[in-house]
This record gives sequence, structure tokens and C-alpha cells, in this order.
Amino acid sequence: MTLNDLWVLLRQDLAQSFRISGAKGKRTEQRNVLRRLLYPIIAITFAILIIWGIAWVVPRFGWDILDTILTENIGLGSTLFNVLLLFSFIGSIMVSATTVGNSSRMEYLMTMPISLRTLFLEKTIIVILYSSAFFLVIGTPIFIGLSIVSNAPLAFLSVPIFLVMMVVLSTLGVSIGGLIGLLFSRILAGRRRLKQIGWFIGTSLAVLGSALYYYFIFLSDGFAEIFPFLFEIAAALGFTSGISPGAATSALSLGFLVGEPIIINDILLAVIYSGVAILLVNLNAYVSETAHYSGWLTSGSKRTTKDKAPISHDPWNPQAIPGISFNTATSVSIWYNITNIRREGRVFAQYLVGPLRFIVILLFGFFAGGDLLMGFTPFIVIAITVPFVVSYAVSFAGYELVYEGRNLMNLQLAPLSMYDYVMGKVYSSAPFALVVSTVTSIIVAIMAPSLVIYVPLVITSAIFINLAAGGIAANAAAIGGDFKAERIITRQRGAQVQMPIRGWSMLRAQLIPNMLGFIGLSTVLGLGLFLGPLFAYIALVPFCLIYLSLSRHYARSAGTKLTLKEASDYL
Amino acid sequence: MIEAIGLKKMFSEFTAVDNLSFQVNPGEIYGLLGPNGSGKSTTMRMLLGLLKPTEGTAKVMGFDIRDEIVDAKRMMGYVPEEPVLPERLTGWEYANYVSDIWRIPRGPEREEELDELLTLLDIKDASDDLIETYSKGMSRKISLVAALIHQPKVLILDELQAGIDPRGAATIKEILNGLRAKGATILMSTHILEIAEQLCDRIGIINEGKMVAEGSMDELRLQAKGEKSLEEIFLSLTGGPDMQKIAEYLGDVK
Repeated sequence: MTLNDLWVLLRQDLAQSFRISGAKGKRTEQRNVLRRLLYPIIAITFAILIIWGIAWVVPRFGWDILDTILTENIGLGSTLFNVLLLFSFIGSIMVSATTVGNSSRMEYLMTMPISLRTLFLEKTIIVILYSSAFFLVIGTPIFIGLSIVSNAPLAFLSVPIFLVMMVVLSTLGVSIGGLIGLLFSRILAGRRRLKQIGWFIGTSLAVLGSALYYYFIFLSDGFAEIFPFLFEIAAALGFTSGISPGAATSALSLGFLVGEPIIINDILLAVIYSGVAILLVNLNAYVSETAHYSGWLTSGSKRTTKDKAPISHDPWNPQAIPGISFNTATSVSIWYNITNIRREGRVFAQYLVGPLRFIVILLFGFFAGGDLLMGFTPFIVIAITVPFVVSYAVSFAGYELVYEGRNLMNLQLAPLSMYDYVMGKVYSSAPFALVVSTVTSIIVAIMAPSLVIYVPLVITSAIFINLAAGGIAANAAAIGGDFKAERIITRQRGAQVQMPIRGWSMLRAQLIPNMLGFIGLSTVLGLGLFLGPLFAYIALVPFCLIYLSLSRHYARSAGTKLTLKEASDYL
Repeated sequence: MIEAIGLKKMFSEFTAVDNLSFQVNPGEIYGLLGPNGSGKSTTMRMLLGLLKPTEGTAKVMGFDIRDEIVDAKRMMGYVPEEPVLPERLTGWEYANYVSDIWRIPRGPEREEELDELLTLLDIKDASDDLIETYSKGMSRKISLVAALIHQPKVLILDELQAGIDPRGAATIKEILNGLRAKGATILMSTHILEIAEQLCDRIGIINEGKMVAEGSMDELRLQAKGEKSLEEIFLSLTGGPDMQKIAEYLGDVK
């Protein structure tokens, strides 16, 4: 491996990311200057506003007050930085496995005289850059602003330290997440059926583990009371002490900012973590290369015998959703969507377990809060169920519509109602929404038995929220989907470093359904809690009708847009 | 029947296809030849309704691609240059999936037909394997199965023969001959001039989006003034290799 190779690859990848705005080909549609430079303009404006805001506001009440607050809360800063590390980790559990699994799409790079280890290292670095970019864009102007108003002589040093340590934190998170994903792929190598279950269980365990870690470092008294033995183990391992990566970042960056004496141990710790990050990212590349050559991520063979058996098939009549009949276009769309996702175990796990990452953290908060917060149980139902069913809808109807990619050509050529096909996508996540809403509402009913009567209501609402969300997500995908996403390694299914739906459309796909879900379910449940269950069930009828009509309206709109889509958008 | 009337396609400032007119009759195989980037695939995609013509139009079995594209599409089967396949389905599932989206009624009749096509194209044994394990030739064969399932009256084939083994190529040739005899309209593009010479009743050569020659082999020879092979005609119309540069390069090779 040479640094030159790495640089060549990084340059190529970064150029590709910005090519949409910079391409000048004769067949390329040119965007106007404002649209091309929109994101940099937003980032710079945002930074200037923050810097100016801090420089204007802080002197009004005096730096000393902020100095005191920051000095007293360097420990809180370490928690915050550790959470950022955690986010990098939980968002990267399958990143390396996905890169290796999709490596056939990088054949053109793999045939170049560059070692595969360098290639995988470069892909991981790209993920790290994406993973830390958001925090850097927000954090850097804050540190610059605070450095301007600070009295400390070396305050400006906090800016480069923050930048470097954020990259170190991201590197640690992404590398550990990537290694865990590769470990799963090693365990499950060659086992086609087991892969589907294995990825699911493995991802769930990693998510639960990371959420527990979050509580070890965040540590509320309530949590310690519920899981004292876990706390003891964590304390013994040093997770709760001042030697975590976040603690080193906080001590150095905030320390320079407020002019606190820098302890040599903190510098040593930062150097050690930087070294560990470099080591881990290289280890990730090495294991990725091994995974590629060993074929851990190739599909396991279905055949169990060497004897050639004549092929015979059962009559073709797949049941998309057992017990419910749809027209052929809708039913084949549901079947195709579920089959296509299910067979890529890590994508299936990502879609189904993904929302758990943040919800677990939220849920533990209520456990940690003890009896006091248990009074808010109905809100837990909403807080858990809505993001789950919306996330399923966005993945199954939104992302998967985009990942139809070139298959859109087949759909456009066939005498097919695109609306029916889109509705199939929308319906395909409903069975999973049914399962998850059943599980969550039963868990909550166990926690608060008085709410048992609302279990059917929550389940029904969840399914209709899921349908509405599916329609909205499909429409957003038809408007702002990158139908060539499969060709970009960071946008591929399961990678999700960059979303396959762009900009405002992504916001529309996520935000509107969540808002609708929270408002709708809160209203129906609220009616039940304040006026009685009967009123909640009466309100459920118009609720379902409205959400169903939203689903159909947006699915029809998505169908029309897809029918009119030009081949140059996806081929 | 396909009738292209003054088709033009522009991408931004670039003209990919420029005022292209030709006709493919029922019971005829028409070869669309041209160098890479000459506009063959763009033309086909316009005929299929995948791209909108900037100017001009075309009729497929009498249906205008501008106003009656859905009816036109119903008549067509298409095998693209790069097959469009969902890799996580098996060949059998894919064939059924496509049959479903083409609204071919489910049942034993359809399954027998699929079985027949898969056997004919020598991919029956692989029909339970995931498509991601298929070779390039197998991918093209399963694409052809998907294109033939609904028994189209018009077949559009973009570089179909590339990557297919000799037996498969011979099978495909016989299928195309048979379909022609049954009155199908076939438009194909290929870079293998030998295939075009053997299979096509008429040939259109396009260069930089424009039709530069059209006719049967005999008519093309007549236009080229002499007993020339299709390769010689093609190169004389679209430009041959730069022999001087080749000689310079070979001279540099140690």
C-alpha cells in the first residue's frame, strides 16, 4: 500500500461525490450556479451565523459565566463526545460487510494495480468522512465562535484539536462497527438460510450492546438501581471513568477553550486513541480483504447434493400476504419486494432492526427513570411504534422503489399500472409493521396493564400510519430518488452512508410521516385517555380512512411520476 | 411494423440522434449498425418509450410512441445491451415475476411455456440458482426469455449475441429466423457484422446520430460501388482504423 494509491482513490471517490454539481459532459444536464453550490453556501452561511451569534451573545452576559459552566461540565462534554462515537458505531455495523458484499460493483477498481487492502481502506475512510462531516459542520463554527470570545491564551488550539479528535472518534466507531459486521459475515459464511436470521440476531445484539454502553457512560442513578451488576462490570472495565475516548476529547478541546491546565495523561490518552484508531481502520481493511478473498459474503449454495436432480417447480402462485388477495401487479410487487430484501440478510436486518438503535436508547431512558416516568407509558407506545412503522415504510416503499433502478425499465415497458406496483411496495412493509406494533403494544400493556384495551387500537393505527408513510415515502422517492444509487458504493442497499433519496425529498419522506404518526396516534390515544376507550375507537375510523386516502393519493402521484421518468435517469 | 419518422434526441446541447427515419416491416429482421455512441441504443429506447424524442416520432404496429406508447409497448419485447436483472431472484422466479407484470395469467399453460423457453435456451438447470451467479451469457439468455414470454409482435434486441456461447448463438439465430417466418418485426443492433450479414434482411448504418446508408446487403454493395463485405462498407462509411497511428504505436512497443 502506498499513500499515493490511497490519495488517487480518495480523489476519485470525492470527485464522484461532487460530480453531480461539477460535471460538464455534453450529455449532462447543467444545473444553475446557485443549485450547484447550494450545500456549500448553506454550510458556510450556517457557520458564519453561529460564529457571529456566539461572538455577539456571549459578551452580553460575560464570558466568565460560560467559562464556569464549561469548566464545571467537562465531564458532560465527555458524555456528549462518547455519544457521537456511539452514533458512528451503530451507524456502521454493516458498512464494511456491505462494501465487501458489493465489491463486484467495484470491479473496475479491483483490476487496477492497487492492493485490495488499500481499496477497502479508502472506502472506510470515505465512510468516516461522511460519518464525521455532520458533526464537524456543526461543531467547528461553535468552537471557532467560543475561541473568539474566550479569555484563554491558547483557546484557538481547541479548534484543530476538536477537528482531529472528532475524526478519531468517528474512525473508532466506524472501524469497530465495520469489524463487528465482518465478524458476523465470517460466522455466517456459506449458510444461506442462517444468514437471514444471523444478521438479524447479530445486529440486534450489537444494537442492544451499544445502547447498554451508552448507559454505562451516561449513567443515571435509576439505571444503576435496575442493573447494578452491569454497572459494576462497566465500572471495573473503566467505561465510566475518565479514560474513555470522549473524556480525552472533552478534556483537551474544552480544556484549551477555558484555559484549564492540560494534564499530560489526557494528551497521552488522545495519542493512544489516535493510534488505536489508525490500527483499527487498517485492521478493518485487512479483514475486508480477507473477507473478499475468502468469500464470506457470497451467497451460500442452496444445493446439498452433487447428484443432478431434475428441476421441477411448484405451481406459481406466491402468496404476498397470506389471507389477503390483491391484483397481480400489486401481489407480485409485494412478493418481489419482500423476497428481494429478505434474501440479502444484512439489508433485511438493517431495515427491520435499524430503528431499534435509537428507540432502545429512548426506551432505556424510561426504564432508568423508574416509576416517575412510567406514568408516561402511552407516550412510550407512540415514541416506539411510530418511528418503527415509519422507518419500515421509508425503507420498503421509499428506498426500495429507488433501488428498482434499472428494473424500472421493465416496469415501464410492461402494460402495468405503476400505481398498483407502488401500492405493492407500500403494502410490503405492513406485515412487519403489524408484528412490531403488536410486540411494542403488548410490552407496554405489560408495563401498564390498564392500557390493554388499547392494544388493538395501537396495532390498527400503526398499520395505517405505515401505509400513509409508505405512500409519502414512495412519492418522495419518485421525486428525489437517485435511481442510479446502486452504482455508488456508499448509496447502495444496506450501506446507507448516503441516502438513496436526496435532499428535501428525504426530509419529506421521513419528517411528514413521523409528524402525521405522532399527531394521529397521540390524538386517538388522547381521546381514549381523557374521554374513554369508546371515543378512541370511534375516532379510529376516520383516522384510518384519512391515512388510507393519504397513502393512495401519494402512491398514485408516485406512479405517475415513475411512468414519466426518462430512461437516462436510471439506466 | 416499426416506422421511425424524423426521430431526434438531444441531451442538453448534444444531439444523440438526428432526424432518423427508417421502417422495419413485419417478417423482417432489420440490423441497426453503427460505432459506439452513434445513437443505436438511444433510438431503441425512444422506440420503447423509455426516452422522449426531442423531435419526430415513430409508430410501432400503428401506435404512435408519443400518444399511444402504452399500446405500442404491449406489442414489444426488448433485450437491452446490459440486461436488467434482479440478482436476488432465481431465474425461474424472475421469469414468473416478468410474466406477472406482463399480466400473463398464472397457471400450467404459462409454466409449460416458461419451461420450454428455459430448456430451449439451455438455462433450465440453472433456473433455481440466484441470478447473481449467472454468467454474462446466461443473463442475456434469461433476458431473452423475459422478452419472449408475452409473444411480442415486435422484438428489439440490443447487442443480444455478445457473450453467448456458440450453441446459444445458433439457438437464438434459429428462434429469430422462426419468429421472422411467423411475421414478427425484429430490430436488432450488433457489432458482430457477420451476424448482421447472415441474419438481417435490411441494414441501416448510423453514424453520429444520422443514417448514412440503408438497404439490403446487395443494395449496400451497390451504394458502395463494388463487391465489398459489410465490414468494408461499414468502415468506409463510419471511418476505419488510423493505420498510421497503429503503426506508430506498434513501432513503440518493445
